[in-house]
Amino acid sequence: MNKKLLSITLAAAMTLSMGTMAFADEAEASYENCTLTFDWWGGDTRHQATQDAIAAFEEKYPGIEVQANYGAWDGWESAEALKFNSQKTADVTQINASWINAYDANGETFLDLNTVADTLDFSQWDEDILKMCEDPVGGLASVPVSLTGRVLYFDKTSFDEVGVEIPKTIQDLLDCGDAFGAYDDGYYPLVLGAYDRALFMTQYLSAKYSKPVYENGELMFTEEELQEGVEFIQSLVDHHVIPALDVLDGDGASSTDQNPKWTNGQYAGIYEWDSSFAKYAGALAEGREFVVGDELEEMKAGTFYKVTLSFAISAQSEHPHEAALLINYLLNDPEGIKIMAAERGIPASAIAYETLSEAGLFDEATMEAHTKIFDVATYFLDTAFFDDATLKDVAEGAFQDAFSGIDYGDYEISEAVEILFEALTAVTE
Amino acid sequence: MNNTWAKRNTGLLFITPWLIGFLIFKAYPFASSLYFSFTDYNLFKGISTYGFMNYINVFTDSKTLKAMGVTFRFAFMEVPLKLVISLLIAYILNFKIKGVNIFRTAYYVPSILGGSVAIAVLWKALFNNEGLVTRMLNTIGIQNTPKFLTDAGWALFILVLLRVWQFGSTMVIFLAALKGVPTELYESASLDGAGKWRQFFSITVPLITPVIFYNLITQLVQAFQEFNGPFIITNGGPRRATTLMSILIYNNAFKQWDMGLASAQAWVLFIILMIFTAIAFWSQNKWVYYSDEEAR
Repeated sequence: MNKKLLSITLAAAMTLSMGTMAFADEAEASYENCTLTFDWWGGDTRHQATQDAIAAFEEKYPGIEVQANYGAWDGWESAEALKFNSQKTADVTQINASWINAYDANGETFLDLNTVADTLDFSQWDEDILKMCEDPVGGLASVPVSLTGRVLYFDKTSFDEVGVEIPKTIQDLLDCGDAFGAYDDGYYPLVLGAYDRALFMTQYLSAKYSKPVYENGELMFTEEELQEGVEFIQSLVDHHVIPALDVLDGDGASSTDQNPKWTNGQYAGIYEWDSSFAKYAGALAEGREFVVGDELEEMKAGTFYKVTLSFAISAQSEHPHEAALLINYLLNDPEGIKIMAAERGIPASAIAYETLSEAGLFDEATMEAHTKIFDVATYFLDTAFFDDATLKDVAEGAFQDAFSGIDYGDYEISEAVEILFEALTAVTE
Repeated sequence: MNNTWAKRNTGLLFITPWLIGFLIFKAYPFASSLYFSFTDYNLFKGISTYGFMNYINVFTDSKTLKAMGVTFRFAFMEVPLKLVISLLIAYILNFKIKGVNIFRTAYYVPSILGGSVAIAVLWKALFNNEGLVTRMLNTIGIQNTPKFLTDAGWALFILVLLRVWQFGSTMVIFLAALKGVPTELYESASLDGAGKWRQFFSITVPLITPVIFYNLITQLVQAFQEFNGPFIITNGGPRRATTLMSILIYNNAFKQWDMGLASAQAWVLFIILMIFTAIAFWSQNKWVYYSDEEAR
């Protein structure tokens, strides 16, 4: 995914816009009065925007009532998973891309959206992007709401206090670590949890070896390459770029934005999704300047992207056509698009992107982060494997085990690499 | 005849709501978990294999064995400490001290709070690297403070401390038992020259052994089921040092969806608990004194 691809997609969308309107009119022609259920997670602003969009949808399609069920992320996946398992899946569900493999391996949880192609306008998405939402049996399990990637953000106030520039290369970053350490032992230019480390290492290795972490269902990195990646992460700890995981654990914060060391600038940088600017900026003490950094020069070629969120329809839904109407309204109808705005990230639907751009509804910093990623993004991060619970889970996952094992002194680097390699391979089997 | 039938079954009618709840929410999960423990049941992949593989895993997998060890350490630290402290406090509060009711209430308050999430969050804030406890220790000149939540030994002890702090319920039960010890026994012992400690060990303790036994059993069961503290305060860390069996079972069941393994682990934990309870019941012949032998 790069600028050229994005331009082509946008141009195609503009050409198709007239056709899209005709498509929508045709789809709207008939529908049944019914009640739809719609589940999503998120924060307050997302909840409000979605509820407003639902109200507008109900006005546009009198006779369709939408029952919303929403909440915060904590515990959400488990609750939804149990619904999937007990055939209680909502008509429309917001899902993570990794859920498709986890909960729809046989294609029986989510409807193959190709069956509602007359209602849902697929021409708004690039085919390659839609492919990311296919289930293992070839059905289209969901349509992507947005795409995202990881970028560096920095608390510039801290960098000014320490007297160093925002890093643009790996060497800059290492020098920053040394400078921060010399300034105060409790100050770091970057903070990375175990999963962040795994992603940062992946980007580093993808750039160096010109390949993604997974391709066609296979782990692409060799054990030797992983060793190099883990050593790179360890060099960040050694150079005081990132705190060791035992230091982070000792902070007792459930997330970085809730860590007082983030608020007061002791942790002065983060490697996060393009939609995360507001969350981390909002957690900083008043008066601190927060900026979007560049992808590090040597790591640009390894920049990856993934589907942030997508919408799926239950395979048991009694009203798939109406559910598809709702999704189409939220993602492809200019009225719904404007109400939903960028609450779920920069939209993947071409018409949504165009509509929000024209209306000036993109947050400037989020757009800057998004552009920095998608200007150079090369590889698709296959979260069906990379976000598997056996790797990602904060208590039992291999990322946590391997990286914290080194920091707590339980593992040599080679042992951690062995654990990582085995776990990264096991999820593909 | 109908009248007789109604009379005979009125009781059954009254307990029917409870019976339905028991069958659905206790008996059925209990029985089905035993069945699942002999399968590789994954919530999203179903069952493909039957056998003893989960039980073999429980006794060979290093994660499970470590969790078992941690659970034993937790229980064997928490239960005796809690019983001793609650008995001592109850003994002291049994004296006629001015304002004793205020003290009794104050000591009972932590138990009212129970194993609440809020208290666990508070505990986490108190003992993190820059928490109140560390700051207070620094203030009084102790600079080299332990990393309470990231040092394996300390982390488990902090969780034990949380439960021991909530000794109010056991204390109240001990207090009630102490009230039942005949005062003339103490008077006679005093006349014979026995001091307070001698009276405590030779009169008080033997006479309240049934209550000590009761508290031992209930606390042991609670300790083996401990969940909130390690889940919220340490999330099983650092490096699994506080991953009790309950946490491991939860992770396997609701994060990995491996219901077969989780069921087997739950059954092994249940059997271990039954063995300890059976040992306690067997041993009561040697140390529990019942004034009415039929009570045994």
